[in-house]
Amino acid sequence: MQLESLLSEFNKELAGVQKIADLLNLKSKYIGKQGPLSDLMKNIKDASPEEKKRIGSVANEFKTAVESIVAQKMVELELAEINASLDKEKADISLTDSVLEKGLQAGGMHPVTIIQQEIEDIFISMGFEVLDGPHIEDEFHNFEALNIPATHPARDMQDTFWFADKKHLLRTHTSTIQVRGMKERKPPFRFVGPGKVFRCERTDASHEMVFHQLEGMMVGENVSVGNLIYFMKTLLSEIFKKTVEVRLRPGFFPFVEPGFELDIQCLICGGKGCSVCKHVGWVELLPCGMVHPNVLKAGGIDPEKYNGFAFGLGLDRLVMMRYGIDDIRHLHSADLRFNSQFKTF
Amino acid sequence: MLISLSWIKDFVELPDLPPKVLSSMFTLATAEVEDVITKGDALKPILCVEIKSLRPHPESDKLNLVTFDYGKGLLKEVVCGAPNLSIGMKVPYAPIGTTLPNGMTLEPKKIRGILSDGMLCSEVELGLGEGKSGLMNLPSDVTPGTSLVDFLKIPSDVVLDVDNKSLTHRPDLWGYLGLAREFAAGHGKPLKNPFTPAWTTKIEGSFTKDPSPINLEVSDDSDCLAYLGLSIDNIKMGATPDWMKSRIETVGLRSINLIVDISNYVMVELGMPNHAFDRDKIQGNKLIVKHAGSTLKFKTLDEVEREIIATDTIITDANRPLVLAGIMGGHDAGVTEQTSKIFLEVANWEAPEVRKTSVRLGLRTDSSQRFEKTLDSNLCYRTLLRLTELVLQLCPGSKVVGSPVKFIKENKLSHELTLEISHEHIISSLGMEVTKERIRSIFESLDFKVVETNGHFKVTVPTYRTTKDISCKADLVEEIGRMIGYDNITPVSPMLAVKPVRLAHTKQFHRKIQDFLIMQGRALQVMTYPLTGKDLLEKSHWPVMNDHLVLVNALSVEQDRMRPSLIPSAIEMAAQNQKHFDSFAFFELGRSYLDYEKERSQLLIGLYSKEESRFLELENIVEKLLTTLNIGFAFAPRSDKFVNAVMPANWPGLHPHEYQNVQIMGKFAGALSTIHPLALKNFKMKGFLSLAVIDLTDLEARELKDKTKYSAIPKFPSSSCDFTVVMDKNQPAASVLAALSSLKQKEIKSKSILDVFVMNETQKSVSIRTVFEDPEKTLASEVIKDLEQKVIQALEKSGFPLKS
Repeated sequence: MQLESLLSEFNKELAGVQKIADLLNLKSKYIGKQGPLSDLMKNIKDASPEEKKRIGSVANEFKTAVESIVAQKMVELELAEINASLDKEKADISLTDSVLEKGLQAGGMHPVTIIQQEIEDIFISMGFEVLDGPHIEDEFHNFEALNIPATHPARDMQDTFWFADKKHLLRTHTSTIQVRGMKERKPPFRFVGPGKVFRCERTDASHEMVFHQLEGMMVGENVSVGNLIYFMKTLLSEIFKKTVEVRLRPGFFPFVEPGFELDIQCLICGGKGCSVCKHVGWVELLPCGMVHPNVLKAGGIDPEKYNGFAFGLGLDRLVMMRYGIDDIRHLHSADLRFNSQFKTF
Repeated sequence: MLISLSWIKDFVELPDLPPKVLSSMFTLATAEVEDVITKGDALKPILCVEIKSLRPHPESDKLNLVTFDYGKGLLKEVVCGAPNLSIGMKVPYAPIGTTLPNGMTLEPKKIRGILSDGMLCSEVELGLGEGKSGLMNLPSDVTPGTSLVDFLKIPSDVVLDVDNKSLTHRPDLWGYLGLAREFAAGHGKPLKNPFTPAWTTKIEGSFTKDPSPINLEVSDDSDCLAYLGLSIDNIKMGATPDWMKSRIETVGLRSINLIVDISNYVMVELGMPNHAFDRDKIQGNKLIVKHAGSTLKFKTLDEVEREIIATDTIITDANRPLVLAGIMGGHDAGVTEQTSKIFLEVANWEAPEVRKTSVRLGLRTDSSQRFEKTLDSNLCYRTLLRLTELVLQLCPGSKVVGSPVKFIKENKLSHELTLEISHEHIISSLGMEVTKERIRSIFESLDFKVVETNGHFKVTVPTYRTTKDISCKADLVEEIGRMIGYDNITPVSPMLAVKPVRLAHTKQFHRKIQDFLIMQGRALQVMTYPLTGKDLLEKSHWPVMNDHLVLVNALSVEQDRMRPSLIPSAIEMAAQNQKHFDSFAFFELGRSYLDYEKERSQLLIGLYSKEESRFLELENIVEKLLTTLNIGFAFAPRSDKFVNAVMPANWPGLHPHEYQNVQIMGKFAGALSTIHPLALKNFKMKGFLSLAVIDLTDLEARELKDKTKYSAIPKFPSSSCDFTVVMDKNQPAASVLAALSSLKQKEIKSKSILDVFVMNETQKSVSIRTVFEDPEKTLASEVIKDLEQKVIQALEKSGFPLKS
């Protein structure tokens, strides 16, 4: 009886406790050495064995109840105390870089790099190596080895930047990479060569004197036009992320025979005809062809035994198509208002 | 090149297909058609009608209501505003639904309240004349209801506009007979070639036994490959017949006079340019073909005086130049309305020479354009005969004098070429099954002779395809491929051995740099031009001008040479960007150019802030980058002794203090500097720009090796001791740590700076922490004491006393 009222008294006092120290005091007041429980225990030595047993068990129950209530209260008080201190140190989590004047300041790749890497990876996955070569070339690598002798009208088609010695020039196409690539390899092989090329051409929104191409070449035994179409179709379907229909038609480039212009079915209208494809349903995308025997010879490869295909892809146009860029000159402008738009990594 | 299909039909019957289909087949088999122009079709619905009655429009003074008979007495009424109306007048009528040549489609429309059932037309509205106002007045004998096209015999035609560039390699396609052969082969129709041996014999019948009135001299060293000529007398210059006029106008040439028109007509028809002289203007009855020999002035047909140089080939008479070979005739000896005697010339010239001269003079003509393609001298004779035929036919009474004068450079004559190719080779090259019969028929339709034994073809190519176009087996494969249609070839993956392919080391290296600088450096990748100009280099006081790498045909002085460094363009771009941003970080993986075959692959990193120098941040980026790439390096102070090519010591843009050389493998391979404020001033730039350049050329091709070796995590506790020393305020704090590097105690696990505190004007205190550790055992306190003493001694020895 005594203990029951003691417990309700304890609970009454506990309700008013706000601090950990007070709680500990309260605990010791009721079940500590100086507390009522201890008095009770002192007095029971005169009681009968049954009485002793009963009182002992009740006292124990009381002690356990108090301890458990205190422990629970302790957790509550601790949490309240920490939370109170957290409230004091509260930081403003809305102030991310993007809302500040300095801005997100995220880094990012150049859009040409983004597309170029994407295409490099597609080709790597199909077993092509990735090569590059010098920008300053000689006539041999840029013209002669590619079956374009000095008198060839095709040299008119290339507006070449020449150096004073009239022997060196800035490469007008990445096809120069073919020549070096062939010399360093034994068939079968396949590689691509992305890089900057230079044309002596007045610049405007769609013309640049420095732009990017990606050359591709595969040489082996019995390489066929069917193989070329296969790789082109696969590549373009990967780039545009949907099945792309392609067609080849005759095109003249001295370094290939037969030579082709590759058209893709217009991605805007699906081939029905629209303003983008000039109502033809097809858009000219890249020149390609079977490597001319003279080019193979210049690369040290026996054209009787091996053949192959080659193609050249204009990267800048793909970049502009992908991102809707209206002026090619932005690519080399290093205007960070342009570059900072490409943050996706 | 404009291809009139009605003209093509002289030589081949075209299948009845829509123009678009014909054009697309030509594009897929031969050359790109850029445009399809339909002529005459627009006028098909137009009828000839007779005006029956007129009454004024009730709502207008200027308009009339016109009733007319449009055939068999049927009547219609239109509203018409033309001034020249009269009853009984015959006029053209366009019914509702007609699309006029100007693109306007007639719709039912009320004019001032009254519905007009179509429209009566003027010549202008029908595209048949210019400027005449009022309705077109048709002859009175026309029956109402007759189609205007039939009555006026207006030819309807489809013209294909073919991209000239796609014909560069096909000299045979610069004439209609050659083009017709393509159509014939493409559509499986026979070619109607009227120029048979019998035809040749017939024209030769007009030759006489008279001596040629013109003596021909061709100098052997001239660029002449063939020169044929024939004289014709009794020319009466009449009008060019309409059919010829309309054809040459359709292909974009102007009608001049009968003889010139015949000359142009034959050029278009057979692809061989030619020339007609007025023989009365040839002095001394002789023509000489030779190099000009010296520079001279020559007035061409277009009345422009041009400078001929010694190596240009010209045709002169006894006294003066008359023709610039292969390009254009002279002003003096051309055929005019008064001409009565002519000399017809059909010649052939060295293609590259014609091209050179025409490019130099900026004079590209229909003639030079064809000669540039390397024409076949064998075709000169046929062309001369065709000219003769047309002159005799269209100038009644004219007659040939003598027989042709001829010069042929035999050793440069184009010959037939026999190539051998197997059925199997064609199939494997195309990746498509084609029957032997189909191959044979394609070759034969292209005028190739074929002998086939057991799948082995011997193909003889005619002379006009061997001048430049066809020379090897691959060329034959092309002929088969394009005629079958490349779009009929199924894409097929090759059967290839599987082998691993990795990105080249250089590429991997560049990608790591990019990823690092974007993620860790929060930098934007940029591209600047590899070309630069003297102005920018001077403005940035760059010590190397690259005068040896100047382009001879630069587009501008701003971009006339290869850049010696990435730095000037980086400063320039930063100066532009400071207008828009208070701070930014960027990098470029680009090249600088020292000389031919000496291109340097370089990385430039730039940090800019309006407020404060970011040099330390830049140092940290470089340090972390090179560590991540596992490239051993050391920062080193500026040196006057060893050259650092990436940032030369004599470049005034260097900062006096914020500068570090980057030493890699014992060489200066890079440098960092804040750009001197004075250098920025030249660019009107404020704030702080710090640049780092690292030359990657000798690093990038190496394989990136991960040499990390795991060492066991220590089992025994380490103990750390802190020391605070006093040092000169201007001395680098890191030199305290350097002082300890001489201490070769294996127990010293690490040492680092905890804090730097400036004590007064001259001194600062630097606190460092050293960590001692023994992997084998817990360090005894005496050992630790001993180590502490050694550290203190080492510090004091280097001039860093402990702070008391």
